[in-house]
Amino acid sequence: MKLSLSWIGDYVSIPENMDLKKLAYDLTMSTVEVEDVEYLARRFDNMVVGVIEKVEAHPNADKLRVCKVDIGGGEIKDIVCGGINLREGMRVAVSCPGAVVRWHGEGEPVVIKNSKLRGVESFGMICASDEIGLGDLFPASQEAEILDLSAFAVPAGTSLAEALDMDDVILEIDNKSMTNRPDLWGHYGIAREIAALYDLPLAEISPYEPEVQSDFKVEITDPDRCTRYIGVEMSGVEVKPAPYQMQNRIWKVGMRPINALVDITNYVMLATGNPTHAFDADHITDHIVVRPALRGERLRLLNEKELELCEDDLVITDSEGPVALAGVMGGAKDSILPHTERVILEVANFESTGIRRTALRYDNRTEASSRYEKAIDPERCGQAVALSMQYFHKIYPELKVTGFCDRYVKKPERAEIDVNLTWLAKRLGKDLSNDVIRKKLELLGFDVEIDNDNMHVTAPSWRSTGDISMKDDVMEEVARMYGYDHFEATEFTTAFTGAINQKDQDLLRNIKEYLAFRCGMQEVYTYPWMSDVYVKAVLQNTENVLKLATPPAPDLSYIRSSLLPNLCEAVVKNERYFTGFSIFEEAQVFFDRNYSALYDETESLPEQRKHIGGAFASSEKNITELFRETKGVLEYMPRFTHMESFVFKKETKPVWADDVVWLNICLGDEIIGEMGLLAKKVSMECGIKNLSVMLFELDATRLKPLKSRTNKFTHLAEYPETDYDISLLFQSDARWTDIHDAVMGKKKAGSLVKDAVFVDEYRGKQIPAGKKSVTIRLTIGSDEKTLTSQEIENAANQVVKKLGKLMGAELRMQ
Amino acid sequence: MKEKITGILSDVKAKISGAASESELQNVKSAFIGKQGALSLLMKELPNLVPELRPEMGTLLNQAKNQVKELIDEKRMELKLKASEVLPDFDCSVPGIMPAPGGLHPITQMCYDLNDTFRSMGFEIFQEDDITSEMYAFDKLNFPQNHPARESMDTYWLEGHDSGSTNEKLCLRPHLTGGSVRYMQTHKPPYRFVYPGRVYRNETTDAHHERAFFQYEALIVDKDITFTSGKVMIKSILSKVFGTDVAVRMRSGFFPFVEPGFEIDMECQVCGGKGCSVCKHVGWIEVMPGGSPHPNVLRAAGLDPDEYTGFYVNIGLDRLVMMRYGVDDVRLFHSADLRFLKQFR
Repeated sequence: MKLSLSWIGDYVSIPENMDLKKLAYDLTMSTVEVEDVEYLARRFDNMVVGVIEKVEAHPNADKLRVCKVDIGGGEIKDIVCGGINLREGMRVAVSCPGAVVRWHGEGEPVVIKNSKLRGVESFGMICASDEIGLGDLFPASQEAEILDLSAFAVPAGTSLAEALDMDDVILEIDNKSMTNRPDLWGHYGIAREIAALYDLPLAEISPYEPEVQSDFKVEITDPDRCTRYIGVEMSGVEVKPAPYQMQNRIWKVGMRPINALVDITNYVMLATGNPTHAFDADHITDHIVVRPALRGERLRLLNEKELELCEDDLVITDSEGPVALAGVMGGAKDSILPHTERVILEVANFESTGIRRTALRYDNRTEASSRYEKAIDPERCGQAVALSMQYFHKIYPELKVTGFCDRYVKKPERAEIDVNLTWLAKRLGKDLSNDVIRKKLELLGFDVEIDNDNMHVTAPSWRSTGDISMKDDVMEEVARMYGYDHFEATEFTTAFTGAINQKDQDLLRNIKEYLAFRCGMQEVYTYPWMSDVYVKAVLQNTENVLKLATPPAPDLSYIRSSLLPNLCEAVVKNERYFTGFSIFEEAQVFFDRNYSALYDETESLPEQRKHIGGAFASSEKNITELFRETKGVLEYMPRFTHMESFVFKKETKPVWADDVVWLNICLGDEIIGEMGLLAKKVSMECGIKNLSVMLFELDATRLKPLKSRTNKFTHLAEYPETDYDISLLFQSDARWTDIHDAVMGKKKAGSLVKDAVFVDEYRGKQIPAGKKSVTIRLTIGSDEKTLTSQEIENAANQVVKKLGKLMGAELRMQ
Repeated sequence: MKEKITGILSDVKAKISGAASESELQNVKSAFIGKQGALSLLMKELPNLVPELRPEMGTLLNQAKNQVKELIDEKRMELKLKASEVLPDFDCSVPGIMPAPGGLHPITQMCYDLNDTFRSMGFEIFQEDDITSEMYAFDKLNFPQNHPARESMDTYWLEGHDSGSTNEKLCLRPHLTGGSVRYMQTHKPPYRFVYPGRVYRNETTDAHHERAFFQYEALIVDKDITFTSGKVMIKSILSKVFGTDVAVRMRSGFFPFVEPGFEIDMECQVCGGKGCSVCKHVGWIEVMPGGSPHPNVLRAAGLDPDEYTGFYVNIGLDRLVMMRYGVDDVRLFHSADLRFLKQFR
C-alpha cells in the first residue's frame, strides 16, 4: 500500500523537523514494514514549466517543429519537438538536460542531453505525459500529444514538481505486515498510529449530519453479513473531472483518476480504509435490499464479467434483482455513466469471511474486497460518509440530498480484557511502571483502569474486530509501543538433564557423511513429486503411490514412494555434462497404505518412511567394476556408520533391475532395500543415452544404530603371517561365497589358513570355455611358530586340494 | 716411500670428501687404487726396495689401499642417501589428487552447522513426517478457518484426501510448526528442540520462490522465559552461519501462531548496514519470523499458557545459504545439478 505523507498530514501534523528515515524506521519497528520511502519530486528533477513563444517549421523534417520556449530566468531556448498539439502561448513540461524520461513512455529511462535533431540544436525536450510517468494522471487522447499544462497558472520556469504539487513523500508499506491490522488500511489509520507513536494530536473527521430525513429505505435481511448500511441519495451531480488535488492524490498512491463521482468514492476509501460505492440512482428501481443471492441468480459486473451466483454470495439488489456484488464490485447496470445526474452513495460494512469467499469464488479480488476481508469496524462507516459528503458538497455546490438512511443493525462491542500486571512484567522481562503502561495504551485509544494487580483495558472499536482479543495482545501493544529496541537480550538457563543421545539422528548423519566423504558421492535434492515418464519407466505401477490434488504440473502428480525415479532423472540431467558420477539422496517417501494416528486418534496419516537412495553412473561399460563399487559402498556402510550389519540375498528382483545383476538387502529376514543394474529397457525409457547406472535404495527407518561403537580387539599375531596367492580354474558359474565357504568353512582347530580374500576373476583367452580363473589371497600362519616356506606351500596345497574335491577346481597352469 | 704414501693418503682424503657425485668418486677410485692408480703404481715399485723394507712398506701400502676403499664406500653411501629419489626436473607444481570428491548438499551442510550449534546449547533434534493433516497444519496453529493459506492455491492437498473435516484432509506440510505441536504433545516441558525439514507451498516458482524449500525451527518453552531470550538464540544462529557477530533487530510482525510476533532482521552483510541494492537500501535484511508461541498453540499442545511460554524462530535455510554464498536462484537447490552442487565442500 502506498501512502502520501502530505495526505497523512491532513490528519496529523508531522513536525517539520521530523527525520523521515526515523519515521519509516519507527513505523517499521513498531507497526508495519515501510518498504520504501520515495521523494516524489525527484522524479521531476530538471523539469520545468515552459511557455512556448513561437512555433516554427523544422528546416529538414516535415513532422518536427522548432519551438522557442521561455523556461524562466529570461532564457528562451530552441527545442525541437514532434508534438501535434503545439501552439504559441501553451504551457508545457520541459525536460532540461539531466532530467530522466522514457521515450514514448516505454523502455529504459534515458537522461536528457543537449542534442542536434536533424541538424537543429535542441535544448532538452517538450514532453508527452507518459514520457514523464504522468500518463495515468494526464491521459493523452492521441499519439504524439504533448502534455498541455495551460490550466496551471504558474510562471515559466516554475519547477514541474512544484507546479503539479508533487513535492511529496510516498511511503510504501508491505501489505503482508498489516493483514492483522484492518484499522491501518487508509491514510487516517496510519495517521492515528503515528499520532500514538509520537503523542501528537489527531484531527477528527466531524460526523455527517443529514439535513433531510426522508423515507429512503434500505432493507438488510442478514444482519450477520451486513452489519451497517448507510445510503445517501443525491441529485444535482454530473460526470466531470475531480479537482486536481483529488486526482493528484489518487494518482500518487497508485490508482487512476476517472471522474469526480468515482474519484470521491476511491478517495474516501484511500483516506478512511472503508470502501464506498456510488450507484446511478436512476437505474435503481424501488428501494435497496441487501440479501444473500439466490442460487442461479445472474449478475453482470462493472468489468463485464457475467456471474451465476450462489446462496453464499451477498448482493445489493433493487426490486428487479442484484445490482452489485456486496463488498466486491458494482454491477454494470447501475454504474456511473456519462449522463448520470442522481447517485446513491453506499457506505457499508460487510462481514469479512463471506466477502473473501465470494471474491475468491469468482477470482475477482478488488481494492474493496481486500479491505473488507480484513474485518473493518462498522464505526468507520460514519467517518467515511462524513468525508464523502464533504467532497460531494465541495465539488457539486448545487447538490441536494434527497434521501438518507443509516441502518446500523449490529453494533459491535469493544473488546474488554483483564491483564494481571505481575504476569505482564514477567513476560516482558522488564518492570514498567503503571503510568508508562497506561500512557502507551491510552495513546492507542485503549481505556485503562488499574486496580492493584489487575489492569482492565477496553480496546478502541477499530481494534476490536479480532485484532485485540486476549492479554497477550495487550502485552504486544505495550512492548511495541515501548520499543523492542529497548528490551535487552536476556539469557536463558539450561536445566541439565543428561546428555542428548539421539542415535537415530546420528546414524542418518553418519551415513550421509560416509557416502559423501568416504565413498565420494554427491548428495542431491529432488522434489517429492515424480514425473510420469520416470514413474512409468522405473516404478512401473502406481499401486500405493499417493497423488496431489493440485500438482505443480499435470505430469507431476505422483509423490514419491521411492527415490529412484527422481535419481534417474538426475542422472539424465547430469549426463549432458559428466561421463561418470555417483549421487545420493535422503528423503521422505510416502505410501497410500497402513494409515495410522500417532498423535491424535482422529487423524489418519499414511505410511511415511525415510529412504536413502543412490546412483552410480559410468560410461566405461565395466559392469563388474560398477557393481563391486556399489556393493562395496553398501557392504561397508554398517562397519563405518555403527549400525547392525545387513546381508545380501537374492529373493525378489526389483522391477527396474537387470535380470542378473541385482540383490536384496536384508536385515535378518526382512528386506530393507535393494541394489542392481538399471535394466536396458528402463534406462532407455528414462532417456539415459550412454551411461550404465547402478542403483540402490535403503529404508533408513529400519536401520538399527548400535548403542555404542562395537569394534573388536584381537591379539596381534605372535608369529609372522604370509600372504599367498593361488589362481584356480572353476566352473564359470561358481559363486565366490561358495568358494570362500569351501576354504574357510569347517576349519579344524590349528588350521594354518587364517583368511581367504577375493583378488579377481578372469574369463577369456587362455581360459577354457565354461571356466573362469579366480585368484584367491590366502593368509597363512601359525599361533605356535614361524612357518617354513615348505609348510606354507603345503598349507596352500591343502586348500587347492580341498577346492578340487569340493568344487572341481583345478590349479591354473601358468 | 712412507712419505709418499702419507702424501697420497691426505690427497685422496681431500678428494673423496670433496666428491659431489658417484662418477667423481669413481674417478677418485681409479686415480688412486685403479690399475694405473697412484697406490697401485707404488705397489709396482716395491720390488725395487731393499728387501728388509719391503714387508713393512707392503703392509703400509695395503692398509692405505683398504683405507681408501673404505673411505670411498663410506662416501658412496653418504652420496646415495643424500641424493633425491627423482630427477631434478620433477614438477612439484602439478595439482594433487582429490581424496573423495563427494559432498553434502549445501543446505544439509547449513543444517548440520546449526544442529551442532543448538546441540551444544542442549537442544534436541526433532524430525517429523512431511504429510500432515489440516488439523496440525492449521487448526492447532491458530489459523482462522478461512485463512488463505488453507486453500489449494497455497497448499498441496492430496488427491482423495482433499475434502472433509480438518482431521481428514491431508497435505504436504506447508511449514514445520504443526510438527512442533506434535513434539510438545508427546514430550514433557520444558522444551528445547530444533526441527529441520522440507516444506511445500503451491506457488509459481522464480529465482526467489520455490515449491519445496527448507525451514529450520527452534523452540524453547519454559516457565520463565521472555521474548527477549529469543535474541540470544537468534544471535547464536547468525554468528554461527556468518562467522562473525551479526547485528539483529526484532520488529513487530504478525503470524497467527505467535503472540507477540516478530520479523527478525539482520544487518546487511553486503554493505554492512549502510544500504545497498541487496537490502533495498535499508541496511537490514529480513531473515526469519519469530515470537512467543500463541496461547492457543500452547493449549493445542496441552500446556497451560498462563504457566508456560517460550520463544520460537523459523529460519529459511535456502535463504540463509543464498545469503552465505551469494546464490541468486533458489531453484538450483532442487536441480540435482552437479555443476552447482560440487561447488560446496
